Amino acid sequence: MWTGSAQYLCDPELAQAFHMARVLGMPLLIEGEPGTGKTELPLQFAADLGLNMHVYPVGSKSTVEQFVAKFDHVKYLRDSQVEVLNAQREERGLDGLSTSGRSTENLDDYVLLGPAAKAYSEKNSVLLIDEIDKAPREFPNDLLYALSHRKFVLPESGRVITATEDEMPAIVITSNREQELPTAFKGRCIYHYISFPEAQTMHEIVRRHFPDADDELVDKAINLFYQLRRAGMERAPSTRELLNWLKYLQTFKKNVALDRIVKRHGLGVLVKTEKDLLKAQRFLN
Amino acid sequence: MFDSLPHHFRAHKLNADVRTLLLLRRALEKGLVNTIGDMYVLLKGLIAKDVKDFGPFAVAFYDYFLSIEIEKGETLESAVLRSESFKDWMEKYLLEEEFIDEKPSPGELVDKFLNEVHLTSFDIKKILDGQEIFNKDNPDLDDTPGENDPESDTRRLLEKAADYQGISVEELLERMRKIADKQRDAHSGGSHWIGMGGISPYGHGGAAYGGIRVGGKGGGKNARAVINDPQFYPVDTKVPLTDNNIDVALAGLKGIEEEEADRYLDIPGTIKTGLKRGGIFLPEEKEKITQKLQVALLIDNGGWSMSPYIRTVTTLFSKMDKRFAHDMKTYYFHNTIYGGVYTDERRTQFENIEKFCSLHKNYSVFVIGDADMASYELSAGSVRDWQKITERFDRIAWLNPMREAYWQSSDTVPSFRRLMEMYPLTPQGIIDAVLDMNRKRRFYKL
Repeated sequence: MWTGSAQYLCDPELAQAFHMARVLGMPLLIEGEPGTGKTELPLQFAADLGLNMHVYPVGSKSTVEQFVAKFDHVKYLRDSQVEVLNAQREERGLDGLSTSGRSTENLDDYVLLGPAAKAYSEKNSVLLIDEIDKAPREFPNDLLYALSHRKFVLPESGRVITATEDEMPAIVITSNREQELPTAFKGRCIYHYISFPEAQTMHEIVRRHFPDADDELVDKAINLFYQLRRAGMERAPSTRELLNWLKYLQTFKKNVALDRIVKRHGLGVLVKTEKDLLKAQRFLN
Repeated sequence: MFDSLPHHFRAHKLNADVRTLLLLRRALEKGLVNTIGDMYVLLKGLIAKDVKDFGPFAVAFYDYFLSIEIEKGETLESAVLRSESFKDWMEKYLLEEEFIDEKPSPGELVDKFLNEVHLTSFDIKKILDGQEIFNKDNPDLDDTPGENDPESDTRRLLEKAADYQGISVEELLERMRKIADKQRDAHSGGSHWIGMGGISPYGHGGAAYGGIRVGGKGGGKNARAVINDPQFYPVDTKVPLTDNNIDVALAGLKGIEEEEADRYLDIPGTIKTGLKRGGIFLPEEKEKITQKLQVALLIDNGGWSMSPYIRTVTTLFSKMDKRFAHDMKTYYFHNTIYGGVYTDERRTQFENIEKFCSLHKNYSVFVIGDADMASYELSAGSVRDWQKITERFDRIAWLNPMREAYWQSSDTVPSFRRLMEMYPLTPQGIIDAVLDMNRKRRFYKL
């Protein structure tokens, strides 16, 4: 059972859910506030165990073709026209144009594999589908077949890529909950919600990222960070922002850095909108 | 085995079915479930598919596996305290443990109990790896020299953990089956799962001091912290909207969907048919569906009866800003509308009803107000204004913060309900409103 790496502190419940998902050959669907390390889990897992990683960042124009495999119609059209052309050129004793070894007889030559098809054809790789909530509504539904049958049928060529339960890639799907995912889709995943870490855990997370950081500095920074989170801002600062802030603070000498915390300098790293900044300043004073 | 499980969880409005059972069986075969804590994590991953499911899931789980019934609005602690399972466990625990100072408080006992319930094989592995024990400082041990030896402490913990881990799947299944049988006869009392001896390490003889502690100062997980976290605490989706359950409501709102049809040139189709025609390419068209979501809010922010809800409502919808981007518009009115609405909170900028109705038909309109006023205030003119709005927008819903039970006795609420669908302003009400809106999906070209 994988329980996190030197840089990545994995919540035990998340680690267990991930383990269960892998054993059952199901995707793990992770939701949670931005900046809580959703995307980090598969990246760290793959890096730690030296597994091949395939990432599919989802956007508003994502389609299953991009994700699984695409048939290159234009190339296919070109090559089939080239065949006709070459026959004419041959009659005139001219050299034919090249199709770079592709043959219109073999439809597989025109299939461009996407991250999913690549991950399924490798044993025990890791597949990350990042921010699936950004996808058009039909995208998750289109994945249902592949997820429950562990099988992709490549377009046009009809080639089938399958993975056995034991060799299934570890699939992690992240979502920021910007839109609701279909129930049928969720039903095929193991669901985990990353809650925001407690101050105690946050100390450990910071330690893993900055093993040499000064204790007093870290304490004070985390303290202020949690105060800010309680200020009821529109967009509360996340772990990512705290780490960036600490990185910034560490460029100063200790007493200068502490002074900056006390004087609330550089809050812009933590607070992202002007409205929130005003609110934070009022709250802290 | 566990045949009644889907039914039981479905009764809590959770999605459990035959597939859940099949997956559960597979997980058992693969040795994923060794403790009841594992069972909790597994079933949670399989059944709870949203933050708003965590509360009902915890309630259903405690009831099904532990015979702990959490009543509506009750805290977990009090439900545990009055349950037979806890009392059985406590008796055993108090008997087997020697207490140097005084007996632990009920709160501490509940903590201990929950920690045991939620002990997972993951935790056991961690204990067996020894990390947890050495990281932890144990204040209870300080007074008793000799007891303070971390090695003996470790050994005992190991023994106990090993005990726990040694349970075979068959054995565990057998026990759980018995629990399930007992469950059917809820009033049997007596032999609950703890009493069966085995699932809890305290069921075994020779329990050692301290028991297995999960979490605490050494870091790791504290079961109670997990359960009592607002995120996980049973959220009653039928209570009025507050800051605490706003995230649940938000999840419901995100269900609003809208699609818009458009046409585009289908290149692959053109090539395919062109090849069939022997090289004559005629453009083929294909329908493309894109999504667009537009929301208009009409908020009654006048009068003291609405004031407690204004802030929560605006927070809820401002959180939606990111999702709706430029397509969310907020308007205000007092009690009811007379000829138009206001675009600012202080109600100085007036916009007449025709202007409001010039918003695109695709807008989803939420009206938020108590709809309660003296009957003379709801004039015929005002009703006509509302009718203009309901005629214009297919997707319109009234969200009312007033308790549903009082709706009938109000002078004006029934009149408004004749104009449009009314839902209580609770997370559940919002979800219902959104679902009904989605059902009325109809598209108009921009």
